[in-house]
Amino acid sequence: MKLTVEKVRKNFGERTILQDVDLTIHENEFICILGHSGCGKSTLLNMVAGYIFPDEGEIKINGEKIQGPSRQRGMVFQDHALFPWCTVLENVAFGPEVQGMPKKQARETAREFLSLVGLEAYGSHYPAELSGGMKQRVGIARALASHPDILLMDEPFGALDILTRDMMQRELRRLYEKLHTTILFVTHSISEAVYLADRVVVMKHGVVAEVFEIGIQHPRSFDSPGFADMMARIERLLMEDEEEVIA
Amino acid sequence: MNEIQTTLTKTGEAAAPALQLNTVRKRKGTGLQSTMDMIKNVIPYVLFFVVWELFSQLNGRIQMFNPLFLPAPSLLVHDGWALAQTGIITDSLLASSMRIFFGFACGATVAVLLAVLMSKFSMLERWMSPFLTLVSPIPSLALLPLFIIWFGIGEFPKVLLIAWTTFVPVLVNTVEGFKSVPSTLIRSALSLGASQRQVFTRIMIPSAIPNLLIGAQISLGLSFSALIVSEMMGADSGLGYLIVDARNYFKVTNMFVAIILIGIEYSLFALLLKLLERKVLAWRRGGIGEAVEKVR
Repeated sequence: MKLTVEKVRKNFGERTILQDVDLTIHENEFICILGHSGCGKSTLLNMVAGYIFPDEGEIKINGEKIQGPSRQRGMVFQDHALFPWCTVLENVAFGPEVQGMPKKQARETAREFLSLVGLEAYGSHYPAELSGGMKQRVGIARALASHPDILLMDEPFGALDILTRDMMQRELRRLYEKLHTTILFVTHSISEAVYLADRVVVMKHGVVAEVFEIGIQHPRSFDSPGFADMMARIERLLMEDEEEVIA
Repeated sequence: MNEIQTTLTKTGEAAAPALQLNTVRKRKGTGLQSTMDMIKNVIPYVLFFVVWELFSQLNGRIQMFNPLFLPAPSLLVHDGWALAQTGIITDSLLASSMRIFFGFACGATVAVLLAVLMSKFSMLERWMSPFLTLVSPIPSLALLPLFIIWFGIGEFPKVLLIAWTTFVPVLVNTVEGFKSVPSTLIRSALSLGASQRQVFTRIMIPSAIPNLLIGAQISLGLSFSALIVSEMMGADSGLGYLIVDARNYFKVTNMFVAIILIGIEYSLFALLLKLLERKVLAWRRGGIGEAVEKVR
């Protein structure tokens, strides 16, 4: 699996959201895109997912141009986007089922992925009965059950409280180390990006400002050598022109 | 007399939520407590008829107005029973139920089908919307005389009127339901490998069902009015006809019997719709009932 973003530009009306964005993602990489709200990071992710298309440039997966959404690029949304009329199990079985797997077998697969995120006991519940963190676990299980080549995550933990968020970050890292799915993760939290990613792509005003190789040994924490330093470097980069604006 | 009629239909409508309350409490309370609760729920209804009975009896004595105008419930039961034995009540109920059932089913089906087509083909929606804007403000009852001229006084114009009354609210609400499907649900289905067709059957339709049912509930009230009025104009059967017939022969008790039956029939249909809604929307949680637990 190889995903390449080449000279991508996107306008919404008069406003330029992205310009000249280049990015390459290799198999099994965990990449975070970090930036202020409105920097174009979600737009980039939506283009990779195939919901919107670049005005210029190309996004290719395994050398093929992206033509629209596909099951090879799984998506996890901030608002979890679970189907409220389906039980947790039916939600996770949705992907395998629409791809033509027999119902019974799809349920079996769904059960496997539910136990992977520790929710095997909640299969018959409706999403409305779950807590925020649990909903997001189901969202991740549902995306993984389709065996995507790359998992796209759009600020998945943005709506969670801080403790749940920490727990979910550890959980995601654990899943990643187990499955080695390629992950493209969008966030505006510096610590989240430094904790999770192999590489952090910092975006500012629609361009890639800098790419940081994190290279800290896992499991990481705030006390890991280099963690605080990395956070400070990224923060300086993000804050640079904010001061210019004030001055 | 008009006031009494409205109170009557209101008690009819109130029966549905009251029943709901019973079933909710049954699950919680023990045997004795649930019987107590049931008695508590029934008291207002009993009281209503007791006051009515006493008032009518009193009026019979002191003649505040002609006692024939407001017959006592006991007399209604007596005369109602006599009427029932002639078979007129069964016939009327059957005729009215058939009309409302077919009219409602046809109207709702056509409305849902059209809503589906409108959401699939934006061309159709562009052409249909102005047409709907033109016809939807017109109360359907205004069309009845026209329907009678066009289609005569048989079953067809009545069923058509009920269908039309049902059609507009169901269509408008269902179309709105299709439009307000959250885009992330559609996106996530597509990313899970669903085809356009699967997105429609597995995402769009279940999302639109709550709106569809709201439309159906609005329609039910309106289509009952359509039923009664159409039976009052040019019919020889049905509950509406029973009222007009009773007026022609000044049988006020028969009028009351018909009015009460209308209330009961509406409550039954509303209850059926409620049960259907509860079955279809079992996944829904929340509302005031679950927002705050009451201190017992």
